[in-house]
Amino acid sequence: MACEESHRLSDPSGGIKGAANELMTFYLPIAEMSANVFLFLGMGAAVGFLSGLFGVGGGFLMTPLLIFAGVPSAVAVGTEAAQIVASSVSGALAQWRRNNVDLKMGTVLLCGGIVGSAIGVQTVSVLRRAGHFEFFVTVCYVTFLGVIGTLMLIESLSAMRKVREGKAPSARRPGQHSWVHKLPLKMRFHRSKLYISAIPPIAIGLFVGFLAAIMGVGGGFIMVPAMIYILRMPTNVVVGTSLFQIVFVTAVTTILHAKQNFTVDVVLALLLMVGGVVGAQFGAVAGERLKGEQLRFLLAAMVLLVALRMAWSLIAAPTELFSLSTVQRGH
Amino acid sequence: MQRARRRHWLLCSCLAILSAALLASSDAGAQQRRQRATPVPVPVPAPQGAVRPAPAKPPDPADPAALPRETVQADVSTRRVAVTSTFSGTEIVVFGAIDNSRQASPEAGLYDVVVVVVGTPTRLEARKKNRVLGVWLNTDSLSFESVPNYYSIVSTRPLDEVASEEVLKSMEIGFDYVPMVLAKGAETRGAAEIKAFRDAIVRLKRKDKLYSQDEYGVAFIGRSLFRATVDVPANVVVGPFDTRVFLFRNRELIHQYRARLDLEREGIEDALHAFAFRYPLSYGIITVLLAVASGLLASAVFRKGAH
Repeated sequence: MACEESHRLSDPSGGIKGAANELMTFYLPIAEMSANVFLFLGMGAAVGFLSGLFGVGGGFLMTPLLIFAGVPSAVAVGTEAAQIVASSVSGALAQWRRNNVDLKMGTVLLCGGIVGSAIGVQTVSVLRRAGHFEFFVTVCYVTFLGVIGTLMLIESLSAMRKVREGKAPSARRPGQHSWVHKLPLKMRFHRSKLYISAIPPIAIGLFVGFLAAIMGVGGGFIMVPAMIYILRMPTNVVVGTSLFQIVFVTAVTTILHAKQNFTVDVVLALLLMVGGVVGAQFGAVAGERLKGEQLRFLLAAMVLLVALRMAWSLIAAPTELFSLSTVQRGH
Repeated sequence: MQRARRRHWLLCSCLAILSAALLASSDAGAQQRRQRATPVPVPVPAPQGAVRPAPAKPPDPADPAALPRETVQADVSTRRVAVTSTFSGTEIVVFGAIDNSRQASPEAGLYDVVVVVVGTPTRLEARKKNRVLGVWLNTDSLSFESVPNYYSIVSTRPLDEVASEEVLKSMEIGFDYVPMVLAKGAETRGAAEIKAFRDAIVRLKRKDKLYSQDEYGVAFIGRSLFRATVDVPANVVVGPFDTRVFLFRNRELIHQYRARLDLEREGIEDALHAFAFRYPLSYGIITVLLAVASGLLASAVFRKGAH
């Protein structure tokens, strides 16, 4: 008996620590990891706050954060798609009620988006098998966030300077004609008051759908500028139409990821959704107190920080060169 | 709570049965019956008449020829892993007994016991990063047809004190001898490369607590009874677990015992996992519906606050 006693006594903290851990940890069935509930709720709330503050989807912040927190890249991407559905559906519905959705344009974008998403999910599958998905997603993030962050930073700085100098920020006047108007397959979009080729919206949808599938983002940060500057859509329908497209493309992406890659973690998604919707409400209130160009500057700074952090993970010597992946069999 | 109590009850009853059986160890019938029995402890009470008091004088360990050979038997405390939302791992108690123990007391240290628990074999791809044009990229990989998802060694003393390297190797005891099978075509790789990948697998699995070693984890409770605790982390792949118990005396393997343990998961998280892999399309659609519902619910709840 003496031996057993000493064995038990040597580990007195085990019971207490175990009980405390059990209260806070959740087992994520697809990510296959025990995770702290508050970490993911907090992450959802923080990103939700920022997305409410800036009026962006937040996927481009959440996916990198999930990866930094140790969630496998592919699970982070697949799960984030589900969360974006939740965070954009209410916005899309509100825009729909205000008649701010160009349904025809949205449907054309969606057609491209679904094809793009399917290609993206296949790409994820192939890259995962080759062991390059993590690298690929990091490169995508560094590239897109780097470029967009830089552009936004320049734009917001010049806007802020103009405000200081007393000039009103000049609204861009889109030109009446561009190369977009020379393409065939013209369609009339009544709500947007456009008569343009269907090729550019399909191409934009395709590209955004592809990004949604490989990066776990809604793609609003690409689609909104593309709608304004390439398609020259009126700004009042841009947000509604892009939200409309995002809801459906991320929904399709979620289903495709679940079907093809088994990388959608419903428990993780729910934690993020709960944190996200609460955070977004507070963010929206806080956002009303900040000026547009200041918001854009802050957002640009944050986008660049995430890009830098991801770039660092590409070039810094890793502490562990090896990694393991289980090969699924029979599924 | 109830589970823990049940486990305790099971453990206590097993220990009681084992001790009773030990007292009756000279009874050949009882001996045979126990050996035929499955690892699941069946509460068969030893025949009353066969229970005899232990010999007053302990047998002389210096004269092994005159004594019956020692054998070891063992069993595990649990066969199910309950994966609930708050599951962060479990522990399995391996307990056993040495028949014909010549040990005078638990502290005598005459015997060494090594418990090796080998988990479900899985196919595995190990990858290695290299620097390519300034960035770190997976450039090298090695495929394994079979690598135990889980591997745990618990012993009375450090392994090099228990037995020689040859014995450990032949019995696949120790991190250097974890049974791993290379995939077809991978055998052509150099021995040093393969060793680097093997070591990496062990290192990474130890970091995940899937591989573990406790050099003083087996404790003798009586002259012949011992127990060991094996930790099983939450992310273990369930399936058949091979539990092997080795009995050593004077660095010599004198007996080994094998018990199969089928680890199963239970709980909602496991049902989700199974559902996600069995019906991926429905799982995806349900996830999307959940997302839509929670988004709409949130906007309904916060509508007053937001507008």
